[in-house]
Formats: sequence, structure tokens, C-alpha cells
Amino acid sequence: MRGQQSSDEQVGLLAEEDLCLCVQSHGTAKKRGSHARRLKGFAINLFIGFHLVAIACWCVPIDSPLIPLCKNLVRPYFLWAGLFQSWDMFAPVPKGANTYIEAILIYRDGSGKTWTYPRMEQMRLTEKLFKERYRKFADNLQCGELDELLADAARHIARSNSSPANPVKTVILTQKVSFIVPRSDGSYVPEPWQPHILLGYGVQPEDLR
Amino acid sequence: MSLRSFFKLWNEFFFREQSPIPIALFRIIYGALVIAMLALLQPDWLDWYGVHAWVGLPTALKLEPGSRVNLFSMIPQSDAWIEGLFWVTLGSATLLTVGLFTRVNSIIVFVCLTSIQQRNLYITHGGDTFLRLAGFFLIFGPAGAAFSVDRLIRIRRGNEFRTIHARSPWAQRMIQLQLSFLYLVTFLQKIKGAPWLQGTALFYVYHLDEFRRFALPAWFFHPTALKLGSWSALALEFSLGVLIWVKEFRYVLLALGLLFHLWLEYSLNIPLFQWDILSAYILFIDGDDLSDYLSSVRRGVFGLLPTFRSNSCA
Repeated sequence: MRGQQSSDEQVGLLAEEDLCLCVQSHGTAKKRGSHARRLKGFAINLFIGFHLVAIACWCVPIDSPLIPLCKNLVRPYFLWAGLFQSWDMFAPVPKGANTYIEAILIYRDGSGKTWTYPRMEQMRLTEKLFKERYRKFADNLQCGELDELLADAARHIARSNSSPANPVKTVILTQKVSFIVPRSDGSYVPEPWQPHILLGYGVQPEDLR
Repeated sequence: MSLRSFFKLWNEFFFREQSPIPIALFRIIYGALVIAMLALLQPDWLDWYGVHAWVGLPTALKLEPGSRVNLFSMIPQSDAWIEGLFWVTLGSATLLTVGLFTRVNSIIVFVCLTSIQQRNLYITHGGDTFLRLAGFFLIFGPAGAAFSVDRLIRIRRGNEFRTIHARSPWAQRMIQLQLSFLYLVTFLQKIKGAPWLQGTALFYVYHLDEFRRFALPAWFFHPTALKLGSWSALALEFSLGVLIWVKEFRYVLLALGLLFHLWLEYSLNIPLFQWDILSAYILFIDGDDLSDYLSSVRRGVFGLLPTFRSNSCA
């Protein structure tokens, strides 16, 4: 049992026998075992070295022509294995405005209503624990780089607000923005909310299925 | 430094056998965090991942192209199958926590967790990312070598003694290094932004309504306090990324890091994020120190029991 553990663990970058350069023959079986151990050790060391370099190249924000090169090389593996990462919360600049999303819904009969996307600041503490994902999703909806998400969100809102007798025909997604501006004395007074249209979406019958 | 001394240091760092208690405790906390994450998400499983989710599977695959570990793109697209995948993840995370079929369950949890995140990357925060990355390296570690049902079974069958044997810590080191990277990169990203260098960043952070949790004291919003807070965060993130590897600073930095994350947990609403990060702190505690601490707790608990009994008898 102990012997088995040792064979698992003696996989260093340079085994002790290499350091003293006095490898001796102890029979074929031992040689085979030692060979397998060395192979395992080599594989583990390669694994460690590769991942350290790859993770560093992936996420360390240093301007060097080597970084994008390395990143492109490891990209397929990182995306496949789920090792991609970015650590930029509130960085380099924290979000400078409070925002929320509203949807103006226009129904087939011509009526309309305003639907508000879940807002963390209006939730109770326990509700916030369960609904935090809505905050993150809202941030991504408003980031301006993922337009496809807006269309999917419009379809989801239309589905959950439609009835067979009176389906939603149009969804207008609006972002409300209130900039955070420090006063000269360091105090803060909320700025008025400004609307920005994110997307106007004509709902198709298949969207509601 | 010569190549030979580099190899020696490398070997010492990654392969010098040590107690597997830290990684075993990490496995328990990690499993519990995965369970907590799934439980908090449970009311909205289908809203985020179902057939009619906020983000459809075709959109997710279009926005995040390429071959990926994603079971959602392999299973039939029905809500029953999707819910089933979540229940499998939950079951496997429970088994991982108790340490039954530890290696197999660490693989299942990693694959399922990665699939859940790949299916909808637009609702994941840094804590989720860290769990995914730590889960990958946990697969390779001796996570079931202590405090596990697997070990109890091995002892019962006579395959293992009661003494916990030292093991190679390379997988544990990778999770530790991943945590260091996290802090260091956060620091490097922040110093690229003027508000962090000027000390005004926290003014914006703490006026974001969506993050607000509990009421903060008025003095905290004084410009000087916000400046000190912004700069302290930078200093601490750098230290936790680099200086944590200096043995003499380690426990002090871990204590400061703990206070820092507890403050963030109190003041900002990002459920589980702080605990996801804090979970890996246990890997920085020396195995012998942990063992001594656990023994003293055990002695304390067992020491109390007879006293209690004799008192109650009297």
C-alpha cells in the first residue's frame, strides 16, 4: 500500500537518482516500474508547466506580442475544457451609472403595458440571494456587444406576457440610466433617469411557441 | 539560480509530500458551495437553461462558438432532461462532499458545472469561474485521502491505516496558484483605471444600487475613507497575489483577506462570490497546523462530553 503511494508521488521534475547520477540496475521489473514512473512524472510536469504558462498568458494584462500568440494557441483547449477566465470586476473602471431595463409591450388588440425587468434594489434580502443572476444578465444585455441576447430576451418577455387570445406583437426594450456623479464636497445626489432604446422587436408567431 | 537548483525548488514545491488534510477540507467546502449554488439557482433552472430560457441554446452556441465541454448540447432538448442534468449535478456534488467515489464525482461535478456555465455564460460571476477552475485541478488531487467515506471504506477493508499519509500536493498547488493569479490579475486590471489610482473607485462601486446589501455607516462615504478603502483593496489584492507565498506573511494576509471578503459580503450583494474565493484559503494553511487545530477541537469536544455527563448525573 505504502509502496503504491510512493510510486504515485515520486514524479518530480528531476528524480533523486538523476541528481546523484548513480542509476543502478535492480532487475527488469524494477526498471519497468521506474520507466513508467518517469513517464508519469514527465507527463505531470508537462501538464503543470503548460497550464501555468497558458493561464498566465490568458489572463495577465501585459502588452506583449507573445501574449496574443500564446492565447491563440491555447484558445481551443481553454474554451473546450472551460479554463478560460477573466478577473476584471469593477476594473479597470467601475460602472459609472445606475441602470435598469424596461420593456414596453404592445398587444395584438392595440393595448400596451410597461414590464420592468427584475431590479435587485427593489428586492428583499432573501429574494436578492436567489435572483442575483438577473443582475449579471442585465449587465450583459446592456453592454452593447451582445445584440443577439437582446432578441432572445425580447422573445422570452413576449412569451411570458402573452395569452393565446391576446399575444404580444411588439417588444421595445428600454434602458434607463442615472449617472453617478460625485458632488464637489464628495456627496451624492441621484441624477434623473434617462431612457435609451436598446431594441424594438416584432414578435413572430413561432416566437411564442 | 542554476537549472539544477530550479529543478530542486520545483520538485520541492510541487511534489514534496504533505498532509492531504487541506485539500480534503477544500473538497468538502467546494462540494457544499456547488450545492449552495445549485440550490440558489433552483427556482430559475428552466428560466436560465430550459427550452424556453432567456438565452436559447442556438444563441448561446452562436455567441460562444467552438468545441466545448457542454452536456446541454448533447442531451435531448426537453425540460425534463435539463432538470435531470441539474439533479445529477446536485447528487454528484453531495457524494463529492461526503467523499464517496471521490475521484469519479469530482470529474462529474466538473463536467456538469462547466456545462451549466457554458450553456449560459451571461449569468456567471467570478466566483462561479473560480469554482470551475478549482474543480478542474481538484480532479487530480488526493481529495478523498481524508475526511471521506472512501477512506472509511478503505480502513474497514484493511487497505489503509488510521494514520493519514502524506501525499504529493501538485494539484493543490495549482488551485493555490489559480487563486494567486486571480488576485494579481485583478490588481493589474485595476491599476489600469484612473479611479482606482485616484482613490475614487469605491465611490462608484458603493453607489451602484444593484449591489447594495446592508446599510453602511456614513463615515465610510467620506472621500478620505473611500480613498483609503480603494488603495487598501489594491494593496491587499497585490499582497494576496504575490506576498502570500512568503511564509512569514501568509497567515497575516489570510486573516486580512478574510476580513476583506467578509466586509464585501456584508456590503455588496454578490451571493456566494466571497465564499467561493475564501474556500481556497484553506489550501494555504499548513497541513500540520490544520491537523493540530482539528485535534484540539476534537479534544475540546470530547473533553466537554464527560464533564457534561458527570454534571448532569450529579
